[in-house]
Amino acid sequence: MTITLQTLLKKDWFGLLIVVILSGILITLFKPAFLSSFNLYVLMVSTSYMLIIALAQMIIISIGQMNLSVGAIGGLVAISFSGVMEVYHLSVPLAIFIGLAIGVICGFLNGFITVKSGISAFIITLATLYIFKGINLGITEAEPFYEIPSAVKNFGNAKIGGTPIPYLIIIPIIITVLMWVLMNRTETGRHMLAYGNSVQSAELLGISSSKVVITAHVISGTLAAVAGMLVVCRLQLGTPNIGDSWLLPSFAAPVIGGAILAGGKVDVIATSLGVLIVAIISQALVIFKIDPFFVQIFLGLMILLAVFINRYREYKQEASRKVFTHD
Amino acid sequence: MTELCLEINRADKAFPGVQALSKANFKLKKGSIHALLGENGAGKSTLIKIITGIHKQDHGDLLINNSARVLNTPNDATLYGISVVHQERNLIRRFSVGENLMLNNLPRNHFGLIDYKEIAIQSKKWLEIMDLNIDPATLVSDLTVAKMQLCEIAKALSLKSKILLLDEPTSSLSPQESENLFLLLKKIVRDEGVSIVFVSHKLEEVFSICDEVTVLRDGKNACTSEKIENLNRKKLVKLMIGRDEQIVRAKSQNSKNKNLVLKLNNVKSEIGHRDINLELHESEIVGLYGLVGAGRTELAKCLIGIEKIVSGDVEINGLKQTIHSPKTALEKFRIGYISEDRKKEGLILIHNVLDNSSITVWSKIKKAFGYVTDGMISMKVTPYIQQLEVKTPSNYQLISNLSGGNQQKISVVKWLAAGTDILIIDEPTVGIDIKTKAYLHKLIIELAETGTSIILISSDMPEMIGLADRILVMKDFKISGEVNNNHNYDKTSAAIMEYIHD
Amino acid sequence: MTKKLPNFMFTNQFGLFCIVIIFVIIFSSITDGFTSRFNIYALSRVVAIDIMIGLAMMVVILTGGLNLALGAIGVCAAMFGGWCMETMGIPVIPSIFLILGMGSFLGYINGVITVKTGVHSFIVTLATMSIYFGLMTMLTEAEAFRRLPASFTDFGSIKLFNKYVSPLLIISVTACLTLFYLFKFTDIGRKLIAAGANPDAAELSGISVNTMFIYCHMLSGFLGAVAAIMLTTRIGAAIPSMAGQLGMDWLLPAFLAPVIGGTLLSGGKLSVFGTMLGAILVTLITNGLYLIDVGEFWIRFFLGIILLIAVILDKTREHFTLKSVIVS
Repeated sequence: MTITLQTLLKKDWFGLLIVVILSGILITLFKPAFLSSFNLYVLMVSTSYMLIIALAQMIIISIGQMNLSVGAIGGLVAISFSGVMEVYHLSVPLAIFIGLAIGVICGFLNGFITVKSGISAFIITLATLYIFKGINLGITEAEPFYEIPSAVKNFGNAKIGGTPIPYLIIIPIIITVLMWVLMNRTETGRHMLAYGNSVQSAELLGISSSKVVITAHVISGTLAAVAGMLVVCRLQLGTPNIGDSWLLPSFAAPVIGGAILAGGKVDVIATSLGVLIVAIISQALVIFKIDPFFVQIFLGLMILLAVFINRYREYKQEASRKVFTHD
Repeated sequence: MTELCLEINRADKAFPGVQALSKANFKLKKGSIHALLGENGAGKSTLIKIITGIHKQDHGDLLINNSARVLNTPNDATLYGISVVHQERNLIRRFSVGENLMLNNLPRNHFGLIDYKEIAIQSKKWLEIMDLNIDPATLVSDLTVAKMQLCEIAKALSLKSKILLLDEPTSSLSPQESENLFLLLKKIVRDEGVSIVFVSHKLEEVFSICDEVTVLRDGKNACTSEKIENLNRKKLVKLMIGRDEQIVRAKSQNSKNKNLVLKLNNVKSEIGHRDINLELHESEIVGLYGLVGAGRTELAKCLIGIEKIVSGDVEINGLKQTIHSPKTALEKFRIGYISEDRKKEGLILIHNVLDNSSITVWSKIKKAFGYVTDGMISMKVTPYIQQLEVKTPSNYQLISNLSGGNQQKISVVKWLAAGTDILIIDEPTVGIDIKTKAYLHKLIIELAETGTSIILISSDMPEMIGLADRILVMKDFKISGEVNNNHNYDKTSAAIMEYIHD
Repeated sequence: MTKKLPNFMFTNQFGLFCIVIIFVIIFSSITDGFTSRFNIYALSRVVAIDIMIGLAMMVVILTGGLNLALGAIGVCAAMFGGWCMETMGIPVIPSIFLILGMGSFLGYINGVITVKTGVHSFIVTLATMSIYFGLMTMLTEAEAFRRLPASFTDFGSIKLFNKYVSPLLIISVTACLTLFYLFKFTDIGRKLIAAGANPDAAELSGISVNTMFIYCHMLSGFLGAVAAIMLTTRIGAAIPSMAGQLGMDWLLPAFLAPVIGGTLLSGGKLSVFGTMLGAILVTLITNGLYLIDVGEFWIRFFLGIILLIAVILDKTREHFTLKSVIVS
């Protein structure tokens, strides 16, 4: 396959990459401090867990559903992870294992109930959102766990060598690569996308809907768990309100990355760039000392803009096809 | 050579209110192309659905390669080597051609990951059989409809299917594309040992590629596995239509002297209609005949403002008008449209009889502050519901609990109650039992006689010839000719066929 | 189904009503103070607002959509009202009209974007939620309005009917009756439902579906503003955090009430009184759980479970009941 500008322009991630580079250059021109090692560090830290949160939502979008409980799962795992270490003095690997297990179970419940009840995942995950959050508050009574082992704290703070690269970003990068492989190079991932494209066609092809849906939810739950634990490393404590504000960014990045909410079209690279764009611009707003609440408005506007652009592109494609068939 | 690969014996299938199949037989010889023919509602599609595992016959056997089989799901059918090339394309549009072909069995490399090179190599083989010279990496959504269809056939072959079912495969293909398809079909029958069930309305296609013909009429066999050599066009049409007692509009009105209510001048639409000229007089029934995909329903949607008209004039009662939406069509110009897709566009299945039959009149009968009660509505629509003899326990019955025929009557009631001057009726009797069908025909004639002007869209030739005063034949989003209907079936149908196939 | 029992006994509302009664009996027998004047008055103030929030969501669910921005609209309307009354010194009555106008306007924006993009209202309102809330916080600098006119705040503490009932509940019940009238006895209400049930069929039958959807979003914003006014009089101030982060605290009552009440999530069927009963049930259970000392932190958990049970019951019920009542 030859790579031409034409084929590149067709890719979702290409335009986003240009946006990332241009915005980076533009911001640096006005505020050279943007490229300072401290700034880059902060940027990478915030990108690290947002990346996983976005991927946790993206995989559910790929099958044409939504997962409102990503944040609640992350929060529940965060307090369990820190809680078992503080209260039961469990070793870090065991605590990680428990955290992941909770993520898997929560995700499985979401998928299983969705499949068995035939109700939209939106409403099921809305209910489980409150169930998971309720368990979280019931256990913690809204009090954080402070006693985090120093190994965990160090992992959350340290940088690799003399570079501004945080250790925290290693896991997200590995996961992003794995997710790319999953969505592009494995049968499971391709079947998910096929299912998202058309449930009917997928079933005619003999793809099992329950397997696809449950697998996607389990992966989503696991990723939410990883994100929850990373935030504990970062904050150096396990507070019950971890995950409360994940809903909006979890949708923002995939949608900016061109994902279609009806399913069947997601792109791991574009989603990652979506996360990066949100992070860069949020960071820029801080550097320019713009009201922090503007970040929120900005995030909302970005989603709307992305929705309009995606819609327009679909419309163009559609229009070109119509002309094609009748002449 | 006379071995059978698919056999259906004495199959019965009933749906609420309709006996779709009764003791129907079907025998497919290995390595043959077999035409399955019949008018709409003859049971053709039910038989296809039995073969593909969507429906199960009530009685009767299904044999594949001489052993009795039960097909519970479409998947079972695939397992036994039966594949359908659907009218609605069953490809994943955003995937590449190669991946679509291999999706059931994606090749992997030694890491267990999908091997796209291998996909390209393996799928190329099947694409070459279909003479498709395309890169397997091409996205399906970038293909033309004809190529998508060839890909579907390639896919069926890749699944090792030995029985292919092609349902109206040429409905959206150009003549050259159809010709190419036929050559390929003949080739795969010869080289790949495939047998084909071919369903089409176009008789000349049947004569050009089929070996044998089975015709269904009213759910029964009008003929079974008749050799094509023993048939001619006239015989075939007779087998399909039978000596059906057809209600015929008493005498053709001399409509030309009446008021011209609707006139289209060189209308061109955004979705592809060109040079559409049409005149509709008061009390006249103008038929629009054509094959699926000829643009008839789409023309109706242009008239009621769903699709855009880009140039040309629409004159209503002699005045140039623009219709923006069905709302203006109904409220300002009193034009109504009875959809062919009763369940998706005609009715609100989760609502009851009363609400469905009155949806068009709420604005009309409201009092101050929009006050409307069930009682007021009932007063307005019940006479029509009774007049049409709709069988329902009460006006509060959910519409989804009624039979197809009664549902169709309700979608007619709603426009009768609205009191339209121009009514576009799209495929009014598809999937409806004979009795209701006859009743609806009578009703359409009555409507015309009491002053309503009607545009009738139908693929049912006897219905068209029985009801219409004039018939416009559509093809490729254009009007290819006009036939003045003298209700002589043979002559008129021949004239229509001329325009379709020239 | 036996024909002898009256139809209403098979309705969702009747079942809900029974459940409400059962819970009242349970809680009043096992807890102290459930039926006390103080508790009932407090309940009436809470339930009044939850009913309004539920109704506001219900009218968007009717279109098969959702309004995640409901809480944000409510807070924006309340803060706008605070600004009108406190900063601009506009009298109470005109201010109330301005607040309602603001709510409807924000709903209108949601509606227009949804209709124009054809994107599911979930993602649209997710975005506008963030935008509305962010704008509000920026403009108010997150400062509350605490010196509202006494005539406005006093209304929230009036006690009626032997000091058992807040006037806020009267407003909510009036709103229910009005909406019931709208959907049952007016042409526009019927059109809203038809558009929600099957947009294609409704459009072909001469209903302007886009306009109807915009009306639904406006109505949602309007009802959200009413809820905001009620909340403001109850707490005596307009506070940016009155509905939590991004106004998301409203979402649970907003979904619980209509879903428990039998409003179809795919649109086209609603129950005004079911929503009211749903809100009452949720408030009752919350209150009862407090009184039996479940611990306030577990209450969300139970509400989540209730939502889950409610939707699953609703789904199973579909299989064996004929639901021919469209508005109730």
